[in-house]
Amino acid sequence: MVLERQVLPYFTWLIQGEPGGLGALPRFLLVMFGVGLAALLIGFLVAALRYGFSRGGDLTYRTVYGGFFELLQTKWRRVWALAVLAIKEARRRRVLVALGVYFVILLFAQWFLSTDYPEPARLYLSFVLTATTYLMLGIGLVLSAFSLPSDFKTKTIYTVVTKPVRAGEIVIGRILGFTIVGTVLLAIMGLASYVFVVRSLDHTHRVDAETLTNVMIGGKLQGYDGSTDKVMSHRHSVELDAEGNGLAVLDRGHTHNIDRVGEDYKVSGPIGLMKARVPKYGKLTFIDRNGAKKDSGISVGFEWKYRSFIDGNTQAAAIWQFDGLDHDSDDEFLNLALIVRVFRTHKGVVGRPLTGTIQLRNPETGVVSAERSFSARDQQIDEFEIPRALTDPKEEPIDLFEDLVTKDGRLDVIVQCLEGGQYFGFAQADCYIRLPEGDPRTNFFKVNLSIWVQMVIVIAIGVTVSTLVSGPVAMLFTASFILLGFFRQFFLDVATGQEYGGGPLESLVRLVTQKNVMVELDPGVGVSIVKAIDDVFQGFMWCVGQLLPDFRSLSAVAFAADGYNVPWDRVWQDLTLCGAYVVGLSILGFFLLRTREVAR
Amino acid sequence: MSDEVVLQTRALSKVYRDFWGRQKVRALKALDLEVRRGEVFGLLGPNGSGKTTTMKLVLGLLFPTEGEAVVFGRPASDVSKNERIGYLPEESYLYRFLNAEETLDFYGRLFDMPASTRAERVDALIKQVGLDKARKRPLQEYSKGMTRRIGLAQALINDPELILLDEPTSGLDPIGTREMKDMIIKLKEQGKTVVMCSHLLADVQDVCDRIAILHQGELKELGRVDELLTVADVTQVKGRNLTPECQNEIREVIARHHGELLSMDNPTTTLEELFLDIVRDSEARPGRRAASVAAANASDSPPSS
Ligand SMILES: Nc1ncnc2c1ncn2[C@@H]1O[C@H](COP(=O)(O)OP(=O)(O)OP(=O)(O)O)[C@@H](O)[C@H]1O
Ligand SMILES: [Mg+2]
Repeated sequence: MVLERQVLPYFTWLIQGEPGGLGALPRFLLVMFGVGLAALLIGFLVAALRYGFSRGGDLTYRTVYGGFFELLQTKWRRVWALAVLAIKEARRRRVLVALGVYFVILLFAQWFLSTDYPEPARLYLSFVLTATTYLMLGIGLVLSAFSLPSDFKTKTIYTVVTKPVRAGEIVIGRILGFTIVGTVLLAIMGLASYVFVVRSLDHTHRVDAETLTNVMIGGKLQGYDGSTDKVMSHRHSVELDAEGNGLAVLDRGHTHNIDRVGEDYKVSGPIGLMKARVPKYGKLTFIDRNGAKKDSGISVGFEWKYRSFIDGNTQAAAIWQFDGLDHDSDDEFLNLALIVRVFRTHKGVVGRPLTGTIQLRNPETGVVSAERSFSARDQQIDEFEIPRALTDPKEEPIDLFEDLVTKDGRLDVIVQCLEGGQYFGFAQADCYIRLPEGDPRTNFFKVNLSIWVQMVIVIAIGVTVSTLVSGPVAMLFTASFILLGFFRQFFLDVATGQEYGGGPLESLVRLVTQKNVMVELDPGVGVSIVKAIDDVFQGFMWCVGQLLPDFRSLSAVAFAADGYNVPWDRVWQDLTLCGAYVVGLSILGFFLLRTREVAR
Repeated sequence: MSDEVVLQTRALSKVYRDFWGRQKVRALKALDLEVRRGEVFGLLGPNGSGKTTTMKLVLGLLFPTEGEAVVFGRPASDVSKNERIGYLPEESYLYRFLNAEETLDFYGRLFDMPASTRAERVDALIKQVGLDKARKRPLQEYSKGMTRRIGLAQALINDPELILLDEPTSGLDPIGTREMKDMIIKLKEQGKTVVMCSHLLADVQDVCDRIAILHQGELKELGRVDELLTVADVTQVKGRNLTPECQNEIREVIARHHGELLSMDNPTTTLEELFLDIVRDSEARPGRRAASVAAANASDSPPSS
């Protein structure tokens, strides 16, 4: 789910990072420093082996020193010339075929994607956006990995590097050129997929005049109730006012507007198919079963570590404090959404969902609203429209904004589980206030931007790697980098020994000896050696892990599919990350290309 | 020709190694050369003697195993020297999907010159190398000679001061060869320095001021073409209106300066003779610089005027 992790504000992310973690900038600098040091060491060792100790040292020094000044001489004009060359090369390599492939994919998608789903938009969006992602990553990979190696193979590089071209310009020019090609392709694909989704889900209904019944209140005609015909395997119920204008009620995630035109009813296209919900998050604290304040609830075993649980029918509660609300608001409602993770220790009454309660509280005065109960369905988003006019537990009327929101805009939301022996699990992001929705088109753009960021990172990696090795090897290397990037968290967990079964070699031993991951290996010399080797290996894995881009968390497809707005903070973070990769990899590629003997 | 040294190699050596650092070929052995501004310098040698290797080392395409190459007073690894260098590789390594105009425009953009100058130069060079009719055709459709011509245009795009031509006439028709020679002479007149290697010795003899002959990576001969080709211990006398008696007594006649002495100098051999002699000698006695060999051998073979 999208909201598993909260998006930090940009500058917090940049400077401080997650609590206990490291900000992106210091992290970047550290990684650069580490890579630089490692490169220096390796470079020196290679040079020393080849030319002897002192000459090797001298060469290394001159490479770094001269390289630094050369980097400063990078000229936009030459970068651009090389970028244009890369674009022409991509065109000659028939990159436009990819578009054809994409349209074929969309055509086939039409066959097997069905609109017969509770949320068809989710299916369509996640399909087209995922297809776009993989296709773009593939294109980036092939374009970038083969370009420079083919220049080396055909020796065209000779005529380029004997011009006043700095090695860095060749790398950046390639990255830029292929990025432009990719951008154009992505723009076309993005536009096509948007049109595809909208057109596929576009439909209208006819109001079934026979189903319309008059709604009379006090002998006066108030309006009509009825339903529409069945289109795309669903029908809506219809609520019209006395003039015959109204609304087809929410179903399959959308509504329609209905206007009466003469004797007929004009039904609009679907409204709200694509959503861009904007959540406002609070700060979560817990109260344990005895009523004591806690930072976290209880753990129910191997669950998401940051989600903790409250036990039912006790004093245990999860409390979110929101701030920045408007004490003087004129709104009629407060839109609240809640996602509950249900953990059952017994079946309870079969078929009946667990009930919980929500209360609002003024953190200053302690005034609370009456409990409002809800049925918790595991992992579903429950949305509540809490009206302004509430009552307190003694049935006295209170006003949501005036009485419950403090002057400085704070509000507590208290959630409890009512059923003994059952548990509700919450993370901070599980309860939020829904702010006015964002524009789904902007959101769609932002998701495509996240694809773009991934593509650029792949291109940068591909070009950098290809300064050193041949095309197929570069592609293989980049592909494994992407693959590891998708499983970065797991990879790091293995590296830091947080996964069961030990390091790679130990796992291999377990595999061969058919021991499961939980049993201890019999201590002995062999096992000690294996563990020692694993320690080295894991150290290496950890280092690699620091460089891996986390493609899974870079993907924003789930945002669009689940109907959440991609926060701008995240967009800037992605772009910054992308820039960091491009800068870091360009510098690396520059030194790799510069120290490479071109005419070997 | 001035005394300013444009290109210098100091004990330049190159050993090609394989991936594991094992020695494969010693392509160049301690080469010392100096090329001065304004001269046309020829690098000669049989196939595989290290001419191309030398050029690549000078350009920084290869890193020397020992020694160094200095161009315009800067090390060969310094990219900024390329601003003033033009290079025509052995084969024309150009982007085959570009056409002539695009090719020159692309390479022109890599230099610091205003767009208008670039456009002018592109146009002038295309005309100069005789590709005006084919300027819009992609290079993959070009014949070998046409590719060679566009390669040459590419080398001249920045109006370089030092031009390195690796077998400039290979693949060219007789007219093209002629034009190439004229062009080299014209470049020399403009005060440019040209370093070329070629197997067409007659052409080298025509255009080069100085030559170096390499064999198996070693320098075998170095000097001015006119000096090298002079057979020092042979004197050639040309005369007119000499009576038979006079001819009989030619030594005295000449000693006493009788008759009209039209010419009296040392005959020259051809570069071809010189080259073959040096290579033969080097093969017979490897590892020796063939300093006086040429002259000695030249006297054995019949001098041709
Ligand atoms: N990339 C390379 N790897 C290994 N050996 C090489 C490489 N390039 C050249 N050589 C070797 O170096 C030696 C000199 O080659 P070079 O190309 O300099 O000769 P050349 O004088 O230009 O010959 P040609 O007249 O045929 O062009 C040859 O023995 C050649 O086999
Ligand atoms: Mg050669």
